Amino acid sequence: MYTWISNENDRAQWQAFVDAAKKKDPAFNLTLEGPSFTDYWTKVKTRLSSSGAPCIITTQAARAQELKDLTVPLDDMVKSNNVDVSMYNKAMISGLTVDGSLRGIPYDAEPVVLYYNKDVLSAAGVREPTLNYTTAQFTSDLKALTKDGVTGLAVPPGFGAGPGLPLAFANGNEPVKDGKLDLTNQGLVQDQQFAFDLAAKEKVATAPQASDGSDVPEQQFMSGKAAMIIDGPWMYDSLTTKTQGKVGIAVIPSTSGQGIGMIQGSAFAIAASCKDKETAFKNIMKITTPEVVGAVGAARGTVPSVESAVKDWAGNKPAADVAVVEALLKSGRPLVTTPTWNQVETNFTQYSGDGFRGSKSAQEILSTIANSAK
Amino acid sequence: MMTAIPTLAVKNAKKPARVTGHGKLAAAYLAPGMLGFLIFIVVPLVASLVISLFDWPLFGTPKFVGLENYTRMLTGDPVFWTVLGNTLFFAVCYTVLNLVLALAVSTWLHNLGSWGPFFRVLFFVPVVTPMVANALVWRLMLTDDGVVNSFLANFGIHGPSWLSNSQLAMGSLIAMSLWQGIGYNIIVLGAGLNGISPNLLEAARIDGAGGWQRFFRVVLPMLSPSLFFCTVMTIIGSFKVFTQPYLLTLGGPGESTNTIVLYLYRNGFSFDKLGYASALAWALFVIVMLITAVQFSQQKRLVNYDN
Repeated sequence: MYTWISNENDRAQWQAFVDAAKKKDPAFNLTLEGPSFTDYWTKVKTRLSSSGAPCIITTQAARAQELKDLTVPLDDMVKSNNVDVSMYNKAMISGLTVDGSLRGIPYDAEPVVLYYNKDVLSAAGVREPTLNYTTAQFTSDLKALTKDGVTGLAVPPGFGAGPGLPLAFANGNEPVKDGKLDLTNQGLVQDQQFAFDLAAKEKVATAPQASDGSDVPEQQFMSGKAAMIIDGPWMYDSLTTKTQGKVGIAVIPSTSGQGIGMIQGSAFAIAASCKDKETAFKNIMKITTPEVVGAVGAARGTVPSVESAVKDWAGNKPAADVAVVEALLKSGRPLVTTPTWNQVETNFTQYSGDGFRGSKSAQEILSTIANSAK
Repeated sequence: MMTAIPTLAVKNAKKPARVTGHGKLAAAYLAPGMLGFLIFIVVPLVASLVISLFDWPLFGTPKFVGLENYTRMLTGDPVFWTVLGNTLFFAVCYTVLNLVLALAVSTWLHNLGSWGPFFRVLFFVPVVTPMVANALVWRLMLTDDGVVNSFLANFGIHGPSWLSNSQLAMGSLIAMSLWQGIGYNIIVLGAGLNGISPNLLEAARIDGAGGWQRFFRVVLPMLSPSLFFCTVMTIIGSFKVFTQPYLLTLGGPGESTNTIVLYLYRNGFSFDKLGYASALAWALFVIVMLITAVQFSQQKRLVNYDN
């Protein structure tokens, strides 16, 4: 299998799939190879162009469009093997469907959530947000939290990782419509401007540098210098155990308070160059059973793509936190992108410094990106 | 008239007997170098030219598009002109500042006595330190709450956003690049200064030339071969600037520090447009080649090779 292996944690995660599958089939094994997550999206294309390329690769709902030429449609194999895809998260299946055909079997479904530092909120007299959280209340809370060297929200410079896109999703505004980029739709522009203004006008967030990785805002949050951060559930274990103070999670704020989740997740797919696609499919199905994704969720913290296995991930987590993830999984929509999404992300990171510092508006920035990434 | 006799003699002389065997020997000596040149320079150049005529993704079938990539670059892509302008601005500022500072420092070190070699090594250390490590250190220094702004805060000064202000970001890149690259030219110019005969300077002194006169009328002309070498190499290097914007600013804010090599790298390996990236690479190649050709055409006029 060709996948991202950035560090020993990644390798342990993939090994967890193999170990869980071995419980049912002791002879099962997978050979793992691959670069870091950052390099993966470029190198998977060159690796699959070369001879002896692996049959199984990993993909993401957000990258399914970009990698569509590398992967094969699975619909016929799903039918012939009597696989019930309806057990997988609907948003993930929708995100992995390209031009009407399924390109991967998801193993996780991760709705982006709002993390908050309970101790900092308590010290500022701010009530903990829950399943209903309006942007008006969010702004008011961030203002109350920003004092004594603490900022309300930690923000990264990226688009998908930044606060703008999850906030837009929460309000039902998405960046892609009918398979084409729709970055300048009024709702998305307004929500991105709202996110920019948190740093530029309201001064409740520190404007990020373009070169900041996701670790910079995460460090701000973990060190107690920021009270809230928008991040994925894949960070749950790190943020809840390494942060100074107790951490809780809430839904992403929206105008109505009933935010729609932005679901990201990964999947196993079959390389177009694979000679024995049937065997590859059968192997994929061995590592995406409810038992396996549940066991990996329990061991590695990934939210399982199968609803019945979410309880394994939940384990001993606080019921309020589990309820947030379950609610967002139900309401969530997949982050669907276009083949030029890399360019959108790169350009946004380049321009976001101007947005968060107020020297350019969201309209200007998103229009520029939309024109260059057509 | 005296020269006519040997010329005539040469014309009337019998051609020397052809020496055989040396051609093959020369070819054998040349082969390793020429093979490397062929494999690593000529083949990639030709391949890049061919790729530039295609819409060539990292995975999938390339599609022949003729000169479309070049047309798009010159007429349909405003970012190309912006990154070209940024690169020219960087090249001019960096080259001028580098040469002026390197000349000043190397002259100072030349006259420093026994401490000269120590400082020469000190200035050279950043050149041999990996650029990535240097850039990361400078990022720590120049971020909003970095070392520089923390230092300024001690004096009640609210430091600017060195890397996120479009007016300052390019200046920050130039400053980092100077710190990184100046040591090389200091060594080359130092060697050039060591090669100037002290007798010449002594003669100028006896003729009544002052310090500035000796520097501009004697030292600079005698140093012109080293300066010419430094200028050519620094300009070529500055057009290839990549790591500094890639690590410090990612080309931002906006496009203010995006350079042509960063832009072509992203087009090739992030945006999946190898054809367009190759066209950009050829544009860079032609620009650098023309500038270098102009420099060499002025060599005889500006460079003094008399000892």
